[in-house]
Order: sequence, then C-alpha cells, then structure tokens
Amino acid sequence: MEIHGPPTPRGLVPVLRFLGLVVLGATVGGVAALFAAGFVRGVLWLNEILLISPRSRMMFAWPEWLTLTTVAVPALGGLIVGHLHQTLPERRPHTPTDAIAAVQTRRGRLPVKAGAVSALTAMLSLGAGASVGQYGPLVHLGASLGSFGARLLHLSRSDDNITIACGVAAAIATAFNAPLAGIVFAHEVVLRHYALRAFAPIAAAALVGHVIATQALAQGALFHVAETVIPQAWEFALFVAIGGLGALLAGGYMHAILGLSRVAQRLPLRPALQPALAGALLGVAALWVPDILGMGQETLRFATIAGAFGSGELLLVLGLKVAATALCLGMGFSGGVFSPALVVGMLFGALCGTLVASLTGASQDTFVFYAVCGMVAVTAPVIGAPLTSLLIVFELTGNYALTTAALASVTLASPIAAQLFGRSLFDIQLLERGLDLSSGRGQALLMDTRVTDYLTKECVTLSLEASLDEAIVDIARQHHAEAYLVDARGHFHGCVTLAGLEATRQETGKPRRVRQCLDERRPTLRPDSTLWAAMALLEEVTGEALAVVDDTGLFHGVVYEVTIAHAYLHQSEALRREEHDHG
Amino acid sequence: MGRLAVALLLTMIAWGSPALAEPLRVLSWGGAYERAQREALFTPFTVQSGIEIEVARYAGGLDALRRAVAANEVPWDVIDMTRSEAMAACDEGLLQPLPPSLAAPAPDSTPADRDFISGAMGTCALTHTLFATVVAYRADAFPGRRPARIADLFDQQRFPGPRALQRTPAVNLEWALLASGVPREELYRLLSTPRGLRLAFQRLDKLDTIHWWEEGEAPVELLTTGQVVMASGYNGRFFEAMVQRGVPIEILWDGQIQEHETWVIPRHARHPQAARDFIRFATSTERLAALAGRIPYGPARASAAVQVGRHPESGVDMRLHIPTHPLNDKRAIIKDEDWYARTLTRMNDYFAAWLEAREARGDDTPTAPGPSTAAPGESEPDTQPQRFP
Repeated sequence: MEIHGPPTPRGLVPVLRFLGLVVLGATVGGVAALFAAGFVRGVLWLNEILLISPRSRMMFAWPEWLTLTTVAVPALGGLIVGHLHQTLPERRPHTPTDAIAAVQTRRGRLPVKAGAVSALTAMLSLGAGASVGQYGPLVHLGASLGSFGARLLHLSRSDDNITIACGVAAAIATAFNAPLAGIVFAHEVVLRHYALRAFAPIAAAALVGHVIATQALAQGALFHVAETVIPQAWEFALFVAIGGLGALLAGGYMHAILGLSRVAQRLPLRPALQPALAGALLGVAALWVPDILGMGQETLRFATIAGAFGSGELLLVLGLKVAATALCLGMGFSGGVFSPALVVGMLFGALCGTLVASLTGASQDTFVFYAVCGMVAVTAPVIGAPLTSLLIVFELTGNYALTTAALASVTLASPIAAQLFGRSLFDIQLLERGLDLSSGRGQALLMDTRVTDYLTKECVTLSLEASLDEAIVDIARQHHAEAYLVDARGHFHGCVTLAGLEATRQETGKPRRVRQCLDERRPTLRPDSTLWAAMALLEEVTGEALAVVDDTGLFHGVVYEVTIAHAYLHQSEALRREEHDHG
Repeated sequence: MGRLAVALLLTMIAWGSPALAEPLRVLSWGGAYERAQREALFTPFTVQSGIEIEVARYAGGLDALRRAVAANEVPWDVIDMTRSEAMAACDEGLLQPLPPSLAAPAPDSTPADRDFISGAMGTCALTHTLFATVVAYRADAFPGRRPARIADLFDQQRFPGPRALQRTPAVNLEWALLASGVPREELYRLLSTPRGLRLAFQRLDKLDTIHWWEEGEAPVELLTTGQVVMASGYNGRFFEAMVQRGVPIEILWDGQIQEHETWVIPRHARHPQAARDFIRFATSTERLAALAGRIPYGPARASAAVQVGRHPESGVDMRLHIPTHPLNDKRAIIKDEDWYARTLTRMNDYFAAWLEAREARGDDTPTAPGPSTAAPGESEPDTQPQRFP
C-alpha cells in the first residue's frame, strides 16, 4: 500500500523555516550542553563532599570513619532517591528508553516533571556512589529540554522529535566532548533515520555542545590514550573473537539488570525503600572491593594498564560490577547503563589481554587494544549503537589504530547480540512494556495507537429480539450493510450482515430472530487493541467494521475498516515526510 | 593633617627602624639556590634596610618547625618553604597568617593579586617562584641514544646504570605512574587508590640500586662524580652545574613536576615585622626578575617573568632554562599541593614502610652520597605487591 503525498515544497519560506529549525537546534544544544555540564560538575562535587571519589577518601582527615560513610552514603542516597521517585506517576525514573519510545511512536512531548525529577535523582544516585551510569540521565535530560523547547514554540510532532534528538546530541557531545558521536547517537539510537531535515539541526546542536564543553568549561577529554604501537595482523582475529564473547557478556549484563528488576517487584519491601537496601549492600561490598563504587573512572583507567590487576582480580571486579549495577538499577536507583558497561567491557578486554599475554608470552605493548575492544564489544550491544561506540573510541582517544581494532570487535559483537538478545537494552525494555521496535518504526507506530482513538457509535445496533424483517429494514434505511446485536444491559452478542439476513429470509421463508443468523467468523476488538492488531485482523476479515468489546462483554462501539486503512495511510505519510523530506 | 602625617612617619621610623639589633634569620635550601638568593635578595635587602640576614639551611620537612613552635623557641623569622608543606603547616597552626596587602604592586602599578599567578597568595604563604623537579642524566652515559620520556628513568635495559632519587614519596610516585601509562591529568586521582599506589611502588621496585638523596646538592654531586647516570633533582641546581661548572649533564624536561616555592613566617618568630618587610622586598618584580636571572626558577608574577634576561656572569639566556618555558613544559605536571597537604603524613608512612622493606633486602645505598654498593643488574628486586590501607 503506497501513496504519494504532495511534493516537497521549495522556495524561500521553507528555506527560512528550515534555517529556523537549525537555529532552534543550536539553541536547544546550547541549553542542553549547559545543563549537561552542570550535571557532570554536580556529580563530581557530590562525589567529593560525600567521600565517594578516591581522591576525597584519601584526603579525608579521619580515615577510620570511612567504613561508616561508605555504607551510609549510598544507603541514605537510595532512601532519598526512592522517595523522590514516588512523586512520579510511574513511580520509576525516566530513562533514554522513554525518549526513544516518544520519538519512535511520534508521541513526543516528554513530561517536564518526570524529566526534572529523573535528572535530580540520577545526580543524587551518582553522587552517592551508586553503580550506575551518567550518560543515560544526560541523554534523557537533553531530550526533555528539547521537547520542552518544541512545546514552548507549539511545534509539530515531527519537529518535536528533531528537538529531542538535538538535546540528546548536545548532551553526548558535551559529556564525552565528542560531537560526531553525539550526532550519530541521536540518529542511530533515538531517531533511527537519517533525514537531512533532522541532520542539520542535530549537527548544530552537537557543535554548540562541543564548543561549550571545550571552550567555556575547559573540559578535558574523558579518556586519554598515549600513542600506541600497531598490533600484529593475527591480533585482529583475536579482536573479532573478543567481539563475539563480549556480545555474550553484554547479554548477561542486560539480563542481570532486567532479572533483578523482576526480582525487586516480588520483594516484600516497599519500592520507596528498595534503593536504600541496594545502597547499603553496595556499600558493604565496596568496603571489600572499592572499585565498584560510582561510575568507576579510576577502574576504567587501571583496566588499560597491564599489570594493574591480576587475572583473578579482573574476574572478581568484573563479576561484582555487573552484580552491583544490576542491584542498583534493578532496585530503583536512577541512572544509565552505559558507564558501568564501559567498565565491565574494559575489564573483560583486560582479562582477554592478560590471558593472551600469558598464553603466547607476547609483550603487553598492545594491552590497551584488548581493553578497548572488550569495551566496545560490551557497550555497542547494550546501547544498540555500533557506530556511536566506534566514534566514541575515535573521538576520545584520537587514535586511528585503536578505532580499527574496535571496528574488528564490533563487527561480530553487534550482530550476535542483536540476534540473541535484541537490538539494545532499551528495545528489550520497550518490548517488555509492549512496544516492539524490532520491525521498524511503521509497525511501532501502529502498535502504539489504540483502536479506541478511531471508535464510533455511528452504527446500527439491534436488540436480541428484533425480527429478520425489522432488522433488514433498519439496516437498509441507515445505508449500512451490517448491524450489531446489543442487549438491554449493553452487552454485545454478535454481528449480522445484510446479505446474511437476506439469505436466511430467502432460504426458510418462516419468521426467525436475527440472533439466529450471527456471523460467527467475525472477530471483535478490545478497547486496548492496537491499530497493528486491527490491521492484522483485516487480512482475514471482510466486512464493514469491527466491534469493540471489553472483558465484561460490554459493547463500546465499532471501528470501520475504512478508518483503519486511513489511519495507516496517514501514519505512513507522516513518517515519510519526517524521514525523507528535506525541509 | 600635616602634623598627623609627621606623627605617622615618626611612628613608622621608630617601629620599623633599621636599627634591628639582631639579624633577620632566614631558613632556606642552601647550595646554588642560596647563592642566587644572596646575590638577588639578601644582600640588596641589607643594603636597603640595614638589617643583616643570617641564613640557616634545611632540606624541607616540618618536624624541626613543629618542635620549635611547641617549645616556643623558633630560631627563624622567614622560611623558604614548598607550598605543600606551607599548606600543611598553616593547617597545623605553625605559621602566621600573611596580610593580603603584603605583596607590592607591579612597577606599572598593576595590583599584586592580578600580577601573581593564580593560587600564589595563600593564607600563610606567598609564592615567589615555580621550581621544577626534573631528571638529569650524564650526557656521556648512553652512547648513541638519549632519554626522551620519563619512562626511560625506569628502563634500565635501554639506559643502564644506577639512579638517584629523592627520599620522599612525592615526585617518585608521580613518575612511576606516568611511566605506567597514566595520563598526567589523572595522576592524583589514581594515586588516591590502593591499586594506584601499589602500581607506583611496584614500578619503583623494579629499579635496582637507588641512591636516595635528601640535600638538594646531592644529586648534582652524584652525577658529577659519576656514581649515578640519572638523578632527580631541582632544575636550578642542575642548571648551575651544567652551565656554570660545565658538568656533562643534560635535563630531561618530560614529566617535570612544577611546584610553588613560598615565603612563610613561622609562629613565634621574633621579628615578624622585619620578616614581612623582607617578603615584600623579595617578591617585588625587580627582585624576582633578578633571582630568575641567576637561577632558572620561574618567577611567580607576570611582570617579573617578562623581565628575565641573561645570566649576569655567563650570559646564558635564562628564559630557555626556566621550567615554565613552552618548550620545557609540554608534559609538565603541576604538583597537587592540596592533595599532598592532606595526605603527606600517610604518604610518608607508606613510603617509609616500602623503603624499609626494600632496604631490608639491601637493594639501595644509604641516603647520603656514597660509593655504589651493587653493580646494576646484580640483584633482582622482589616485586612483592604491597598492601595499603
């Protein structure tokens, strides 16, 4: 089913409109970048005063109190975070998953309150040392700001999607100081199309974010790698293999997070108190292995240095980091999945590097390559963004040899993980919430639209006692071909067609009731049925409309097949315009 | 009005009178540094004020000051102190707070707080110069190659021979981590973790035969006499040996660690007013430029940095030898003095414990410069990891 809308308009007005969108993108980018920089600073400040960062712990004058603060700070942080989340309608923090869902289903309009509360709780979670990431909250914060801007200016849903992507791109560009990765992430993960109309504003936003990160805030690169040697040819085969194994680890990491949140739902402890418990457990574990506290910047660095960890230590820290992240996210801390995945992947790569060195006896000059390959192999499947992961490596290290090694690793990691687990953790979470993005956006849109949006009561309803003749006259007089049998209490009993009634009358000649000639094969819809389900039913049913009946049998009305088809065409046209128009 | 001015003037003359019966007692670092200070600061101060200056020498550290303050018998009026020790001493109440108006404005009347580099004016300390701890090596020790990176200090295969290092945790720990591939921006964050400390000590442990020095002149001596082939030390002392005495050594600027050197007034100093007068004099633009012309330490004020010229005797262009010159500070580390001020005691304990374990194995020579006891490569140090709380 393909239709052609009006051709893209050309001329001065559309050009000005487009330029306006680019300026808006840059503005959103600037605001999002400032917020992102403030967020990052806020977390660092909290880590200092709350004795989470190693530097503040080492400089603390009374080391004997550190045992107490290590347990108390995450626990109290969890207590505050848990109670703040109770003020949100869903009683959970919003994440990039919500932004992706809003864009993919063209709902747009991210709620301001949820955005603000989630950002605040994420800052508190990270500040109190929870083992969560900061990029997820930054992405959602940027998306919320972008959506807020579009709402202020009363822009369309398509433009709302673009400003959301602008906010996302700027947040990434600022936090990583990596504008290209920001642009690609917004397209690859959030928009999932590459329309020029979206590209230009997003590029402007990322550029502004980058300028603010480097110039105004003088923020250095996140991850420095000194010049490295070039790996041997045979090592590339190992990098590919690391990718394959990393995909399995990524799957384990994602399922640990999902599994723990399912366990948490059955826990006999109020959701508001769950993060406090997770924080206390984390603190106790951190007394033993401090590497699992917080985002793990120091652990990330040590993982690139040969000899900083023994193999056994690597395995221990890796396992505990996965467990700590699953615990914190599953039990209601607010935060992202990316930074812990960086640490887990880096440790995994370091483990591979250590094993290779001990098996082959080779020098450890290329150790950092193994670490980076492991990092990409785990992070790319988790966020479903192979290109972004590569660009992050490239922009953060400025090292082309490292980027090509990462490319070898991601070649196998992304497809394996996508086949076994799903495109990303975000998509798996959305699938659990009933939104399937695996078959593209067209299907997702239809799945997100309820048939009740197209419900009408403009139809012929008949009582159970109506005679054939009455029914035929009734239907014909209202220029319909079908009628629905509804009893005095409003319960639905079935559907009759004019043709069926006429045939019955011709056959027998003797008076019968309409309820004796129901169309048995006609399915019904439920009020929560999606347009996608209705489309699927249309393939096997011919008729005028489908009745909408709830669980108690109550008749709500009908949805005409023509309406369903029109809705589908309308959605397709909107998508086509959003994804393929120039301006 | 006029009478008031006369009265004020009389009071000032009476109070700050040059007729100080006792000399002003300055504690400084001795050696070439003291010689330069004498020429550029002490003698001109005596000429201007009539106050004699008596110089005592030390090698850093706060123990003597702690004892003196506790006994209320402080034998110094002004101390030339590294900023990290000054911060720690200030926190412990061993120093007098300095008035904010202490430093003189620049000749073009730029206020001092805009002329000095940021962080120069502390509660108890006023930074006068930036000095660097660098590695110097004997130019004739490695035919055909020369050290280019700080990692070469730890590479005794490519650059064989004994090393001399300062008997402190500072600088050594930074270099050890830098040599392990840690970027300079992350040094102190990583040194704050047990893992980082362990890594640093492991790296230091791989060096066999370390001559530990405490006096600033010792590494110059060790290099001059050929007892070691590489040594850490203050860039000014190496300069003096290299340029003025023609000792065949060269400086490796990679990984240089820059530090603020300050003037402080100890608590219970007998002549605090004369001490303040001296500090104001010694940190004036003219005097700082004169000092940097004699020993290549970077002046702490912009107006002085642009006045640095050639060495009065040798005619060497001093700007190329000061640590803050762009050619020299590409990979410079700014010592995190705040970090050291808070962790110094603990770091010293860790370092002492490590050193004790190492000395028990007999890997090193004793502190003072002396004959080498072990040939390079003779003993393979045990690289047992250490545990730190």
